[in-house]
Amino acid sequence: MLQPGKAVKVTIYLSDGATHHGVPLYSSILDFLFYRGVAGATVTKGIAGFGADHHMHTANLVDISDRLPIKIEFIESREKVDAILGKLEELAGSGLIEMQETTVAKPAQVSKPKASPPAAAHLKIEGKAQMMRIFVNEEDRWKAKPLYEALVEAMRANDIAGVTVYRGILGYGAHRRVHKDQPLLHPHHASVMLSAVDTAEKLRAFLPLVDQMVQEGLVVFSDVDIIKYAYRALETDKPTDKLPVAE
Amino acid sequence: MKEQFNASMLRVHFGENDRWQGKPLHEAILAQCLELGIAEAVVFRGIEGYGSASRIRHASHWPRCKDAPIQMSIIDTDEQIAKLIPYLDSMVEEGLVAASPVEVIRYSNPATSPM
Repeated sequence: MLQPGKAVKVTIYLSDGATHHGVPLYSSILDFLFYRGVAGATVTKGIAGFGADHHMHTANLVDISDRLPIKIEFIESREKVDAILGKLEELAGSGLIEMQETTVAKPAQVSKPKASPPAAAHLKIEGKAQMMRIFVNEEDRWKAKPLYEALVEAMRANDIAGVTVYRGILGYGAHRRVHKDQPLLHPHHASVMLSAVDTAEKLRAFLPLVDQMVQEGLVVFSDVDIIKYAYRALETDKPTDKLPVAE
Repeated sequence: MKEQFNASMLRVHFGENDRWQGKPLHEAILAQCLELGIAEAVVFRGIEGYGSASRIRHASHWPRCKDAPIQMSIIDTDEQIAKLIPYLDSMVEEGLVAASPVEVIRYSNPATSPM
């Protein structure tokens, strides 16, 4: 949690049109900050600006611009910023990151402080690995969103290699209550399984977050061999060379 | 509450049309798991597959003509799983049962769980 006193304010300037794995880049970065336990972050959208390429981008209805400037700001302790800066630089691509010393006069009030798990660097995986299956209920929620969705976002923010969510048609867990997927009666009342594969270290490093998020459920680890891990970069993932920078 | 222990995971594969004493087989196996007090059992419906009968199974949106592949994941301690095996032997006429050793973490809420 943020303490009064010295801190660092980080500002990231991006283009509205930039995407990362098919979602807007700013929301990728915001998820990353959220699940790494940053105290708070704000995204603002500019109405006009220009960047390194000296192209003026404005919100003009005739020429609807998808390259309006986006600004993400957050304030954190120096240690925390140093810990996440590497990944942040990678995510921001050709955007600009600015840091300045600041002083926290009064931190925001938090009801529940959140610890962040240490995350190993992204690495190519092959050979021995582990599969982590998480069994929860479809109606379980975490901070007002479906738990399975929050878990997928958290795994993505922590660089887990891949995860798939399966919806069961019938099942039961700790409750001994049978969950039947009846599309007409209870549309969201099924057992759900998340299946994630990565190295044992990275999955274990992610466990403290599972501890916090899963109130009731089962987590199952088994050893697997990764035969092939290949992905193709999406066309939209290429950082645009026309990123405007506001101010 | 958090418990951590070593366990076994069974995956049972068969078809959605398979029956046991007039009941869908997956419902019958799930009921047996409940009776034995098995910790976790979930039934998944695949969208396409083939198995021991070597015929391709498709899931269909037309409710009357479906024979989707079914996979059940069943998890508990080795002793509990051993109790279930004889039932599977008699109930699954055509299918596949795969077992693997796993490590389990169980989160439960003692206030709401009858266990």
